Amino acid sequence: MIAPVSYIQPLTTIRRNRRLPVDGQVLVKIGDVVHSSDAVARANLEASHLILDSARALGMSVDRAAKLIQRGVGEQVEAGTIIAGRRGVGNRQLRAPAAGQIAAISEAQILLQVSDESSLLQARVPGQITDIDPGRGVTIECVGAWVQGVWGNKRLGEGILHLVGDRQDQALTADQVDMSLRGAILVAGTCEHRQALELAAQVPIRGLVLGSLTTKLLPLALKLAYPIVLIEGFGKTPMNEDAFKLFSTVSGETATLNAQYPNPLNGDRPEVIIPIPDAGKPPQAVPMQSFRVGQAVHILVGAERGLIGDITALLPSSTYYPSGLHATGASVKLLGKGEVGIPLVNLELLG
Amino acid sequence: MIGPSSTQSLSLVSIDVGSVNTRAFFFDNVEGRYRFLAAGEAPSTIGAPAFDINLGVLEAIDQLQEFTGRTFLSDRGLLISHENVDGVGANAVGITFSGGPPLKVVTVGLLSEVSFDSVNKLVRSSYCHVVESLSLNDRRRPEAFIDAICQTLPDLVVVAGGTNRGASRSVIRLVNYLALALNLIPENQRPHVLFVGNENLQEEIDNLLGALTTLLHSPNIRPNLDQESLGPALQILNTIYFEIQAKKLSGLKELRDLSEGQIRTPALSLGRVVRFLSNVIDAPKGMLGIDIGASNTLVASAFAGDLQQRVFTDLGVGGSLPGMIAETHLAQIMRWLPYDLSEDFVLDYLHNKPMFARALPASQEELAIEQAVARQVMRLAIGKSLDLFPPNAIYPLAGTVPWFDRILVSGSAVSKAPRMEQSLLIILDALQPVGITTVILDQNSLVNAVGVGAEIDPLLAVHVLESNSFINLGTVISPVGNTRGNGSALLRIQIVREGRKEDVVEVREGGISTIPLSAGHVADVYVQPLQNVNIGLGPGRGGWVRRVVGGVFGLIIDARGRPIQVPTSFNRRQEVLKTWQDALTRS
Repeated sequence: MIAPVSYIQPLTTIRRNRRLPVDGQVLVKIGDVVHSSDAVARANLEASHLILDSARALGMSVDRAAKLIQRGVGEQVEAGTIIAGRRGVGNRQLRAPAAGQIAAISEAQILLQVSDESSLLQARVPGQITDIDPGRGVTIECVGAWVQGVWGNKRLGEGILHLVGDRQDQALTADQVDMSLRGAILVAGTCEHRQALELAAQVPIRGLVLGSLTTKLLPLALKLAYPIVLIEGFGKTPMNEDAFKLFSTVSGETATLNAQYPNPLNGDRPEVIIPIPDAGKPPQAVPMQSFRVGQAVHILVGAERGLIGDITALLPSSTYYPSGLHATGASVKLLGKGEVGIPLVNLELLG
Repeated sequence: MIGPSSTQSLSLVSIDVGSVNTRAFFFDNVEGRYRFLAAGEAPSTIGAPAFDINLGVLEAIDQLQEFTGRTFLSDRGLLISHENVDGVGANAVGITFSGGPPLKVVTVGLLSEVSFDSVNKLVRSSYCHVVESLSLNDRRRPEAFIDAICQTLPDLVVVAGGTNRGASRSVIRLVNYLALALNLIPENQRPHVLFVGNENLQEEIDNLLGALTTLLHSPNIRPNLDQESLGPALQILNTIYFEIQAKKLSGLKELRDLSEGQIRTPALSLGRVVRFLSNVIDAPKGMLGIDIGASNTLVASAFAGDLQQRVFTDLGVGGSLPGMIAETHLAQIMRWLPYDLSEDFVLDYLHNKPMFARALPASQEELAIEQAVARQVMRLAIGKSLDLFPPNAIYPLAGTVPWFDRILVSGSAVSKAPRMEQSLLIILDALQPVGITTVILDQNSLVNAVGVGAEIDPLLAVHVLESNSFINLGTVISPVGNTRGNGSALLRIQIVREGRKEDVVEVREGGISTIPLSAGHVADVYVQPLQNVNIGLGPGRGGWVRRVVGGVFGLIIDARGRPIQVPTSFNRRQEVLKTWQDALTRS
C-alpha cells in the first residue's frame, strides 16, 4: 500500500511549481530570488466587460451591422470613439461608452473590456526561480527546514518563529500574547481561547502554527488576517514530537507560513518553510513509499492521534480494532507508551 | 469495454475507482451461473503522493490474484482476452470511475420551469458542480454572465432551450453571449459545449461555436413542452466527463484505453441496476438505490423502468463532508449517538474527517459518529430527491418518500458496519421508508461492477443479484399516520408459511420488532392495522401481503412513525437507541 507522507525535514530542497489557471504573463526570470508574497505571474481573469449591440444601435440587421463595425479585436478605444456605423451627420453610430479594449466580436455584438484587474500568482514560497513555463508559471526552489501541516486558513505570511512554551501541548492563551510578539510567528500546542487569537491579531503577529485548534474557533480563524497552520488538525491534540523539536531548533529564524488549503488531488498542503541560506543543495524528500517494518509513522486519528512510533510488524486484514472494524494494520511501538495495533489507513509515514 | 464475441459464458474483471478506494472484482461462471468470486481493494492513487490512478488499480488486482490464485497481470498489463482459460486472466473487463473532482459546469437554458430546469436536472444526474447559470429569467446584465465564465473557467457548458420547432432567437441570443465569453478564454482552455436544445438550431449553433471549442450535440432534452428526455444526453455527458477528466488525471487515459473507451460512471451503473430491478416490481411501487461514498452520494429511483437519478457531489462521508456540515445542525448528528460525547468532540471529529477521508474510526464512539454522519448524508440526499419521485406513486404519508418495494443501499459507511443491525438501522433511520419494503445491502460494494457487467452480459446482473452476494436484510413494514402515542397496539400480524398459519402477533406503536423469516424462505403475511395507520394499502386498511421473502432480520415492523422522533435528553435518547438496536440484535 502506497503510504501517505507528512514531511518534517530539518534540511531539504523544496521545489514548487506555481501555475496560472489560464495563459498569462510570467513576471520573473530564471535566477531571480523571490519572497513568498512576490507575484511571479499574472493572468487577465478579473476583467469586466460591456456588450455593445451594433445591430440594435444602428437599427439594422446583424449581417449589415457586422459590416459596419469599424474596430477590430485587440484595439484600444477611448470613451466616445465610434465603433460601428458610418461617419457623417445624420448617420446612426455606435460609440464606446467608456475607454477599453475590444475583446471579442460575435454576431455584430462587440465585447468591450473596460477594466483590467489582473489576478496575480504569488510565489507562496521564498526561493530562486529555476524554471519557467512560458505564459503559465514558474518553478521555485528553496533550501531549508520544512514542516507540513494538515489545515491552513489560506493566508500567507513571513516572520520570526517564536515558541510560546517549552512543551508540545502548550496551550496558547491571551496572557501569553503581548506587544513584544509583534511580527512573530507563534508556535504552540493547542488553542481553545478566542481572546488569544483576537489579541494576536491586534499585536499583530505574522502567523500562528498550532498542533491543533478547537473547531469552535474555525470561523474566527478563517477571518483572521494572519496565516494559521495546523499540524495535527482540529481538537486538543498536541503537536507531534518531531515537529515540535524541529521548531525548537529553528526558533528565532525567519519562516514562511504558506497556510494554503489542503487539496489531496494536487498534493497542496499547508506548510512552514524556514529558509537556510548557504546550505548547499540537499536532496529533495523521497516522494513515495510503502509501509514497512522499522519505519517511523504518525498516527492520524483516534486516542493516539499525533503520536509517533515505529512499525514493528504488519498485521493482516483480519485484524480487528476497538471500533469493531477489521483492516490491514501495523503494530506500532510508541515512544514511551508501549505498542498498539493501528489500521494502516490511520497512519502516515514521516518523511 | 472488452466484451464477449458471442453468447458464451465468460469471466469478468471489474474495476471501480473511487476517490478513496479502488476495488477489483472477479466474476466467473460456476455451474452455469455467474458468481462473484473475489474482490481486492487498495487506496485510490489519483492524488498525492502517487498521482497515477493505475498504481491503485494494480494493487487492487494484485490482491485479487492473491485471493483467487489466478493470474490477472502480466508484464504487459491486465490479461483480458476472449481466449483466456481457467486460471489465467479474464474474458472481459468493465470499469467504473468517479475518483476525480466533479466537472465545473455552466448551465444555460431559457425558462425556469422548462428547459432551464431540465438542463440543471441533467447535470445533477452526473458528476457536475454548477458554477454558473444563465436563463431568460436572469435579471443580471449579460456581461455579468460573460465575466463569470472567465472567472470560473468551467470544464463544460451545457446549453438547452427551445422545443424542436420552438424558440430559436432567444436561444441564439444566449449562445452568442457564450461565444463572446469563449473568445476571451485562451483556446486550449476553453470549456467543451454540449448543446441539448432545439435540434433545428444545430447548424446555427455549429456556426457560432464550432470554430471556438469542442461542440457536441445531443437529442433535445425537451423535444416538446410536456416531454423531458434526459437519457441520450446523459450518455453523452458520461463520455464528456471521461474525456475532460482524462486530460486532468494521470492514468485515466490508460484506464479508458483498457476498457476500449467504454468506461462508465457509478451513477450510470447504479441507474442500470435500479432500472433493471424496477421492471420486476409491480407498479406503482418503485425501486430505490442509494450509494453513499466519501465524495459523492447517488440516488436512483425507478418506477416501471422509468429511471430518475441524482448525483450529490457535495454530500459524502469523507472529502465531501463539509457539504453535509454546511446544511446540518449539530443536533441532527448528536441525536443518533448512544454515547455521551461533547459537542466539541463531535465537531472536531467532523472537521478532521475530510482531511483523513480514508481513515477508519478508532473507537466505538468514533464509529457511532461516522454512522450518524451516514444517516444525515443519506437523509439530506433523499430529502433533496423527493422531486424525482412520480406524483402517481403510492404515498402512504404526504411529504415522505413513496412506497418503494425494494431499497438497495451501497457504500462502505453502511455496508461495512461491524454488525448488520447497525447497517439496517442506518438505512431505516436515514431513509425512513413507508409501506412494505425489502432492504438489500450491497455488502461487497458490487453494484457498480454489476451495472457495468450487465452491459457485457445482462445475465451477469441477473445471476449476481439473485445470489447471496447482495444481502437481503429483511422486509420492513412501516405503518404511518396518526397514532395514539401511548404505546398501544398498532398492528396485528399473522404469517402463513407453506399453508400453515402461525400465531397472531400484536405490534405496539413506537418501536421496532421482528418476526423470524429466514433468508430465502417465503411466507404470506396478513397485516391488520388496529389504529388509523397506513401500511400502503390505505388508512386503516389491512390485507394480505403475498410472497414476502425472508432476510437476515426476517420480517421487521418499524412502528416508530414518520418522521422518527429521537428524544433530545441524553439519558432518554441512549435508552431509546439501545431499545431499537436490541430489538434487532435479539432477532
